[in-house]
Amino acid sequence: MGSSAVVPSASQSTDARAATTGSAASAVPAIEVEDLAYSYGPIEAVRGISFQVAQGEIFGFLGPNGAGKTTTIRVLTGQLRPKSGTARILGREVGRDDPVLQARIGVCFEEKNLYDSMSAEENLRFFASLYGIRGLDAEALLRRVGLGDRVKERVGAYSKGLRQRLMIARALGNTPEVLFLDEPTVGLDPVSSRAVRSIIREEAARGAAVLLTTHDMWEADELSDRVAFINEGRLYAVDTPENLKLRYGKRSVRIRRRDGEAVREEAVPLDEAGAGERLAAAVETEGLLTIHTEESTLENIFVEMTGRRLEQ
Amino acid sequence: MSLRTHFSIIGAIVGKDLREFSRDRFWMVLTPIALVAYIGLFWLLPATVDETISVGVYQRGLDAVIAEIGVDEASGLEIVEFASPAALEAAVDAGDRVSIGIAFPDDLLEALAAGRQTTVTLFVDAAVPNELQTAVRALVREIAFELAGVGLPVTQPGEELVVLGEDRIGRQVSPQEEMRPLLVFFVLLVESLALAGLVAVEVQARTAKAITVTPATVAHLLAAKGITGTLLAFGQAVILLVAIASFGNEPLLLLGGVLVGAIMVSGVGMIAGSAGRDFMTTLFTSVVLMVPLAIPAIAALFPGTASGWVQVLPTYGVVQTIVGVTIHGFDWAEAAGYLAMAAGWCVALFGAGWIVLQRRVEALERRARAARPAQGSAPGSPLAGLSVGDRLPDRRHARDPARVRQLVRPQAAPRNRRRRSLRDHDGRRRDRGHRAVAGWLD
Repeated sequence: MGSSAVVPSASQSTDARAATTGSAASAVPAIEVEDLAYSYGPIEAVRGISFQVAQGEIFGFLGPNGAGKTTTIRVLTGQLRPKSGTARILGREVGRDDPVLQARIGVCFEEKNLYDSMSAEENLRFFASLYGIRGLDAEALLRRVGLGDRVKERVGAYSKGLRQRLMIARALGNTPEVLFLDEPTVGLDPVSSRAVRSIIREEAARGAAVLLTTHDMWEADELSDRVAFINEGRLYAVDTPENLKLRYGKRSVRIRRRDGEAVREEAVPLDEAGAGERLAAAVETEGLLTIHTEESTLENIFVEMTGRRLEQ
Repeated sequence: MSLRTHFSIIGAIVGKDLREFSRDRFWMVLTPIALVAYIGLFWLLPATVDETISVGVYQRGLDAVIAEIGVDEASGLEIVEFASPAALEAAVDAGDRVSIGIAFPDDLLEALAAGRQTTVTLFVDAAVPNELQTAVRALVREIAFELAGVGLPVTQPGEELVVLGEDRIGRQVSPQEEMRPLLVFFVLLVESLALAGLVAVEVQARTAKAITVTPATVAHLLAAKGITGTLLAFGQAVILLVAIASFGNEPLLLLGGVLVGAIMVSGVGMIAGSAGRDFMTTLFTSVVLMVPLAIPAIAALFPGTASGWVQVLPTYGVVQTIVGVTIHGFDWAEAAGYLAMAAGWCVALFGAGWIVLQRRVEALERRARAARPAQGSAPGSPLAGLSVGDRLPDRRHARDPARVRQLVRPQAAPRNRRRRSLRDHDGRRRDRGHRAVAGWLD
């Protein structure tokens, strides 16, 4: 399986990110997984997957529920020990208590495991103290996730969305070099989701590697430098969203024209031979109403590859 | 990691636990109320034991004899005279000062002198034990012999009283002192319930998982729980002991015994906290564990009643240490056996709590996973049964089916799979010691 170092694709959008993923930064991959497997008793949750994530890269881990995303994160964050294969974070092997490594990663869990009886500020300060961080500017961190006006409020009174924001703030408290985000925008309204995506981009721009699990293909497409399709514990594809769409997507042009009293619609696949001629002919036809280009989404490609829908 | 860092992490978790405890209304209300109630109950109980038996008497012309019986206070007998048999009967019936009454007939002396049969009436409260009734009967006969001038038809032997053990005549163990170990133990056990609640919440809300992905390890978390439980139980037990004036004899020994008890109940709290799925089951489990542990403390209310099986209960050593120090004036040498027994149980229970808590979290995760249906294959998928490496062909090969076939290779052959399963098996065996940690983390 893939053994060469992963270099972030040319699709990375900012110079800053390109700088952080330059040769020096990417000499040691932030995350390096080789033939990793894990099973819960007889259930094989992860079956020999391999991938790498460079520093400063946002890596989307996509799959339906039960695909093995969360188990992979659990292994990578030291919560589970791999049954076989290896996993390295920042060059250090995971799988045993390693406080040095744990101090360099941040984890945002899918479940909102916060202390309800404590305020947002107290939650952050407590977790910061476990990293040996004194004098954390909790207010600034909370302002960053949009909780600046609820610093002293007990978390028990927070809505699901507010809790999710606090979860993200907690994961950022130690300025991690590798950030694991398990479904970070679940339960958030569109405005909050956008804010979280913005934070994720900022973290990557600062140089943090971000491993993001989601079953929101639009979000993955929007956010990720590269995505991995995982299903039944296996990786089906790893590439940039653009490459996946170009490689596996079906491009077509949908033309609507008036034919007498009726409106006719025709799809011209662009990847077939003679597509140019058909398209030219269609455009020259009288009664042309609309022309729409159609591109495959990541979700279409995922379904075609795995036979499963993401929401399954 | 330096020792200072270890302490810093454990201290942070303990501080957090105490903050959570202080914000739990249930415990914040229950704890002071219970403490005040225990202290109040202690001081309401009699501090001394009244060993004097008051006997009511109605008599005419027997003053000299009666005075001879009643003057000796050391005998523990107090004579209370009444003006009429009816007044005596009414007093015994009402339990007013006396529970036994002797009504001598007015013609007692004449009847005795004439050798005529007469009757002395005894009034006894229904609660007076048989032994005391028999003793009073004997006393009446002796008075009759005294009045009649006839001695007993035997020569009475001399008496020598030999008291085995501590002679507590005149200073019997008071109800207050009997209650002291029980009250201390109530505090310890109730605080084990508080710890159980904290542990249960940590496990059920999975906040433990959030802690263990930081530099804090499972060992830090468990150590912090043990310290929190011990602090809560020991702190309140000491407040109680101070409030009920228990530090007269060997205060360090008493503190040592209570500390061992506090650590022991922390282990019980960890077990109960791991067993509970919600507040009610945690409470139920705690109570089930508490009942046998409370038996030695209850047995201390009735000295000499502890059966053999009570003496092997984990808390027996702690209770006996408290009883010995506060009541019998034990020193370190006398309490050493009990303290050692308690320390042994303390290690066992705390260790059990540690292990059970780890396993509980692990079992939760296993159950959650096992409940999920096994993933089926992807019917109809063009790539079903294939696996892909982390690098698909780059874009220039995207339309090259041969290149795609080369990189998208068939699933591993059975031979390879067998080799992997062996690795898995070895891996599981190697991992056995780590799985508990993984469970916590998950």
